[in-house]
Amino acid sequence: MQYLILEGSGMSATSESEGIRTIEEINDKIKRGDAVILTADEMIKLAESSGIDVAAKEVDVVTSGTFGAMCSSGVFLNFGHADPPIKMTKCWLNDVPVYKGLAAVDGYLGVTALSETKGFEYGGGHVIEDLVSGKEIELRAESYGTDCYPRRHIETTITIDDLNQAMLVNPRNCYQIYDAATNSTDRVLYTYMGTLLPNYGNVTFSGAGQLNPLCKDKNYETIGIGTRIFLGGGIGYIIGEGTQHSPQSSFGTLMVRGDLKKMNSRYLRGASFYRYGVTLYVGVGIPISIVNKRVAATASLRDEDVLVNIRDYGVPVRPDRRPVVKRVSYAELRSGKVVINEKEVPSSSLSSYKMAQEIAEVLKKLMMQRTFFLTKSVEPLPKYREFKPLSVRRRELMVLDVMKREVFTASPSDDVQVAAKKLIEKRIDHLPIVDEEHKLIGIVTSWDLAKAVAQEKRWLNEIMTRRVITAKVDESIDVVVRRMTQHNISGVPVVDEMNHVIGILTTDDISRKLVGGITK
Amino acid sequence: MRLRLIYSTDVVEKPILAEIILKTGIPINILEAKVNAQKGELVVSVPISGKQLEDIIQMFEKAGVKTNILTKTLQIDMDRCISCGACISPCPTRALRFKPDWTIEFDEERCVACRVCVNACPVKVVTVLEA
Repeated sequence: MQYLILEGSGMSATSESEGIRTIEEINDKIKRGDAVILTADEMIKLAESSGIDVAAKEVDVVTSGTFGAMCSSGVFLNFGHADPPIKMTKCWLNDVPVYKGLAAVDGYLGVTALSETKGFEYGGGHVIEDLVSGKEIELRAESYGTDCYPRRHIETTITIDDLNQAMLVNPRNCYQIYDAATNSTDRVLYTYMGTLLPNYGNVTFSGAGQLNPLCKDKNYETIGIGTRIFLGGGIGYIIGEGTQHSPQSSFGTLMVRGDLKKMNSRYLRGASFYRYGVTLYVGVGIPISIVNKRVAATASLRDEDVLVNIRDYGVPVRPDRRPVVKRVSYAELRSGKVVINEKEVPSSSLSSYKMAQEIAEVLKKLMMQRTFFLTKSVEPLPKYREFKPLSVRRRELMVLDVMKREVFTASPSDDVQVAAKKLIEKRIDHLPIVDEEHKLIGIVTSWDLAKAVAQEKRWLNEIMTRRVITAKVDESIDVVVRRMTQHNISGVPVVDEMNHVIGILTTDDISRKLVGGITK
Repeated sequence: MRLRLIYSTDVVEKPILAEIILKTGIPINILEAKVNAQKGELVVSVPISGKQLEDIIQMFEKAGVKTNILTKTLQIDMDRCISCGACISPCPTRALRFKPDWTIEFDEERCVACRVCVNACPVKVVTVLEA
């Protein structure tokens, strides 16, 4: 009876939160083999056919599941001491660096650490999958040598059985919901949300929606510190809120731990996202105890009821500022198509719904076989947490600081010869082409002009590049340099909101500014 | 059936495909086209088989276009596939989709072996077999 009148007023709130059964009572039923355990999918069907009241009365536990890329994951390892011993200061497993700011033979292997020899193809997530599969792993470590730990170098192979401890400790797993992604630009983007085709060519999303653990107990009434869970095919525990836990906006997360030695590589899969990096797919399943009618209601939520934003990954700003293109339900996303700007756009997931279903089934079976029992959480998850961006206090170089304000432009009807002369006279390489209103419509470079002369072209509009890569005054130089490298160009016109040319930025300007900074 | 048509410099500017469509009345569909002044490579789908297919291949060959029949271009290791779906929406020809049981289904007829899915697959279980 601990949830009396938490919110609202009157009888309905009371009856919603009135205790129906306790964890102890459910465990007794599991022990006797007569607990009613449904997967989240089954619970939804029951609630639809018989109503929440009946579902709340009949069902003891609902099993949830999720299987997605979870970058904030990793494993604490203890290698044991060699003879003579070493205080490892640097360590690699299959050429993937292990964090060694810990005691002599303790380390933490994060899933996004990249192999120093294979790059994006192999990383921490893959090492974890290989460890769990029982494969032999190359261990290499270095040290400076001390009186108590004289060895300075070690190279050997290990398997998971050789380790004293291999404890999966994931600072952030199981996002309650996750914003979907699309791309407004005219080039393909390779992101942690997968491949995003140009011009809103597709939508990708992540999350198990109606199977997701935190969605199924979105008021955090049964999930908390100490909750026993299915983790990577073994048993794990929730050890607290996850990093970036932001429940007030439905972005709750979990920190979890479990014994890697008892896990199964079916539910822990190393992964690479093309041109982005490596990670680990983690399988998590959480039992939701139906302790009151309100939990029964949240456990019956459907994909239709869980809403997320589709954000434009084409705009290089921090995640929460990426423009929202549309708000949709997981049901729409999972249907395979979403309408954006009156156009049908294919959508597909990055997390596995199939595996999420399987995990919910396996967890149900474990309880029915009386090998998995529920725990009462010792502390609930916080319902509010500040979610702050990182402010950059040092002033960064902006386009405004480096660009040249004096820009020489030309008109599309100008003569190639005249333009070439202008470039030589002014000692410049880039000539933006503008219309009568000084709006940018093209660009020619000294290379274009050399080619034009060779091909005996006469007018600039015959040779100018019409799709011009530009910059804005308030962009960081860092971002613009990356853009120039991507397009293999050495200068960009700086334009205002109306596409008027207000400056020009070249690699020469940038290197001069940077070198100037150093000599000062 | 899908064919890869390879145009050499000598024939790249001739409207061979259009002529064959007009002559045979067979609605040949272009799935992928890479054409420049030196050479051209098309992947087309032709809704025919047997003798008719042989005839049309002959017509292309006679016109100076090399033809390869494309079979089994994509292979997915279903034992290692996690059914995530990361390959589905990036596929430009909609050759990949979910079955009702949420496993991946591959429609060979639509595939042009562009390799987008090979890169998009996070667990690297998609490979392209050269036909």
